[in-house]
Amino acid sequence: MRFRIVSIIALQLWRSSLKNKAVLALTVIIGGMLLFAAFTGWQHYRYQHNMRLQYQQQVREQWLNSPDKHPHRMAHYGYLVFRPKHSLSFFDFGIESFTGVSIFLEAHRQNTVNFSEAGFSTGMLRFGEISVAMILQLLVPLLLFFLGFSSISAERENSTLKVLLCQGVSWQELIAGKTLGITGVALVLYLPVILVTVLCWLLLSRFQVSAGDSVRLLLLIFAYFAYFIICALIAVLVSALSKTSKGALTTLIGIWLLFMIVLPRGTQVLGAQQYPTPSKAAFQAAVEKDLRREGDSHNPDDPHYKAIKDSLLRAYNVDSVHKLPFNYGGFIMAEGERISAEIYARHQQELVRTYEQQNSFGRYAAFINPYLAIKHFSMALTGTDFAAYMDFQQQAEKFRYQLAQRMNRLQMEYISNQPPGPHDKPHSISHAHWAELQDFRYVPLQGKQVYRHERLSIAALVCWLLLPIAALFIITKKFRAL
Amino acid sequence: MPYIAMFSLAFKQFIRSRAAVTGLAFILVTGVVSLLIGQRFLNGQQEAVSFAAQQQQAHIQQHVRFFDKEMGLLLYYLHFSLVNTTDPLAGLSIGQRDVNPSIQSVTIRNLENQLYDTDLHNPLNLLLGNLDLGFVIIYLFPLLIIAFTYNLLSEEKEGGTWNLVRVQTGQPLRLLWLKWRLRMLAVFAAVALLMILAVIMLSLPFNQALLAVALLFTGYLLCWFALSFLVVSLKKSSGFNAVSMLSLWVVLTVLLPALVNSYISNAYPLPEALSNVVKQRQGYHEKWDMDRQVTMAPFFAHYPQFRKYPVPDEAFSWLWYYAMQQMGDDDARQETEKLQEKIRLREQASRKMAMVLPPLHAQLSLNNLARTGLQDHMHFLDSTRRFHERIKLGCYPGIFEEQPVASVDWDSFKVEYYREETPIRWTVLLLPLILTGGILFGWGWYNLRRQGHPAS
Repeated sequence: MRFRIVSIIALQLWRSSLKNKAVLALTVIIGGMLLFAAFTGWQHYRYQHNMRLQYQQQVREQWLNSPDKHPHRMAHYGYLVFRPKHSLSFFDFGIESFTGVSIFLEAHRQNTVNFSEAGFSTGMLRFGEISVAMILQLLVPLLLFFLGFSSISAERENSTLKVLLCQGVSWQELIAGKTLGITGVALVLYLPVILVTVLCWLLLSRFQVSAGDSVRLLLLIFAYFAYFIICALIAVLVSALSKTSKGALTTLIGIWLLFMIVLPRGTQVLGAQQYPTPSKAAFQAAVEKDLRREGDSHNPDDPHYKAIKDSLLRAYNVDSVHKLPFNYGGFIMAEGERISAEIYARHQQELVRTYEQQNSFGRYAAFINPYLAIKHFSMALTGTDFAAYMDFQQQAEKFRYQLAQRMNRLQMEYISNQPPGPHDKPHSISHAHWAELQDFRYVPLQGKQVYRHERLSIAALVCWLLLPIAALFIITKKFRAL
Repeated sequence: MPYIAMFSLAFKQFIRSRAAVTGLAFILVTGVVSLLIGQRFLNGQQEAVSFAAQQQQAHIQQHVRFFDKEMGLLLYYLHFSLVNTTDPLAGLSIGQRDVNPSIQSVTIRNLENQLYDTDLHNPLNLLLGNLDLGFVIIYLFPLLIIAFTYNLLSEEKEGGTWNLVRVQTGQPLRLLWLKWRLRMLAVFAAVALLMILAVIMLSLPFNQALLAVALLFTGYLLCWFALSFLVVSLKKSSGFNAVSMLSLWVVLTVLLPALVNSYISNAYPLPEALSNVVKQRQGYHEKWDMDRQVTMAPFFAHYPQFRKYPVPDEAFSWLWYYAMQQMGDDDARQETEKLQEKIRLREQASRKMAMVLPPLHAQLSLNNLARTGLQDHMHFLDSTRRFHERIKLGCYPGIFEEQPVASVDWDSFKVEYYREETPIRWTVLLLPLILTGGILFGWGWYNLRRQGHPAS
């Protein structure tokens, strides 16, 4: 393949495309929408970030300013945690609008993450959201298809293809040149997007960027570039294989609809139907059932707690729990918390596994649909994917457990084992203890974990990039010049 | 040529084209799949409801056994469920029912802390959306219409047969109109078939709502026929028609709704949701460390009927406890009202914009008819508030008087059902579609008339 020939073909297509008024208009419209999307994404991020931060600080202050009280009351007062947004989430909204924002963490109980945007949406949200990622994933390929459908078939229709091939231009050079030319038009849009994205990202993270995040951003930029090349290649190949330009256009429109509209929904629905999940009531009932089997601290005749009580009395050689050297209630609650948290975690893990099985259909479908590959990879890189949300829930639950157990330990150590009399002041401990609990800090998934989660999407993107190129060298024999 | 012969010839020509057959087959198969999914959804809802009913009874019996001494303690634990009944039409349009719970299970404690608990769901399923008949009608049928009609005129011109038609019939538009009606017939036959299957598979009752859904589908698809008629009337090439119709489809079903959504969520942000949760938590918990009068005075002002019960100065009292819980709701009342107002504004704005955007109008109206929209959920939350208030006030005297647990007939606390009845507003439902369709069709007709007559 001669680079000079390829670049002449590419440049020629690029120039003539941008001279076309309809193409120029489409490019300007998509460019305008990209600007709009970047601006609203940035605004939305700042608003949400500041609001969540503000409430998180308020909750922290309220926690620290709580007066002296019984530690178990503090365990019920609990903590409110607000899910922070990843600084790249202005670029790709991912599942953000469908996931909750705040979760109430208290003793004995695992609450749901509440107040998702979707819960207060009129149903319009279901039509999709405009983000930079959405435009790059959905609309830019359409533009590329419109640019590329006639790239070879028109040459054939005008009989210029014959001339080109006679002059010694090889099929490989022709297709490579056309693909690069079309990708070049996309770059007119994409280069400014990269610039704006990097700028927004620097501003939003206040110029304090980590090496890991920089790598993520670089990968994001490369992944989209690869996606555009894939789309351009598809357009040129379809154009080369079709008899007429009209035929190529209909085929490409069909491919676009299949890839962007029908398959994503279809594969997800297939997964969801294949792996049903329990209703909330059934899930809770299953947790409670296991709890009753292992030991229910509410049941006065529960054998597990009765055995604990008996062994404690024996070990300390006393005849009543009130004579134990520590607070018995605190000890029992710590035991209850341990058991219920373990059981809950088991069921939750099982549920998450089922969700992952549901999602696996879409993950494997990335090998037949490059849109799903870039969609998943992009969400993961911008911290707006399923794994990031599950990770947040896990960290919140871990914090909840630590909070409850810390309060139980304080109760065991500092609260008298004798219940207060009817006219005594209720037991309490100094508020100085509250600061011992560190504030909740969400640590986002590390790059390595993200790449491991996304190995299928990455493999799919690489395949999509390599396969057509490999195919090019095999199937060009089938192409016809006339 | 006699009309019948012409019709049957055109019909044969249409049905023999590969595009027509694959298009129809694809949409019918997808339609049937969507109905199967709707059927599964309805069954799932039903199962969840009967499970909740069963569960509530077992739950109450067990707790009555464990906490048989103190009414106040027992009612701290007891959950009571209210079910938002699912209309069979929800099988056609799952709407927001997959996001918002159809069962609310509440204790008599502070309600704001319980009201917004979400269901369990896979967010990726929500993001990619359901495949219900609503999706098939709103997204896929317009594509079928586009595929059927984009080259109706241009095909004849490009094939060189148009001049033949003009010379032979003298009324070329009549042929175009005939072919047009043929395609409408095919599309509406497919819709009718799917609706009949829906009635059978989802056991839909024959009522006004079903009629409204059928008319909504018809009006919506007629709008698309009118739009493509307008594009065809411009007499451009097949390629131009295909590109411009697909672009219109993308703009109408993807871009504009997404823009409207982005406008609404930015114009009416909901910080009240978060301030509400912070306020209600603080409103209740801080009262533990305050003088009892701070709690009791506003509580008695809210519920003067309980003034007669004494509150001890120091010893624990359930009256004081539940009054503190009440303060959680009362302190957050302003935020709750602001939140409700904002959501009402969101609804209003959506509806206004939907008037001029048929896909949005079709989706919102369909959700409304199937009772799966935001409005339905908001009414369900209101009804949960009333339900909670009724149960709570019913239980308070027993707690405050320290009646024995056994004195209450606990079996009478059954799961309750809520069903919203909203009258169908026919003009709001159909007029926007009739107007949009009429204008587009009239415009197209004018184009053809204007250019059709001169013997060019």
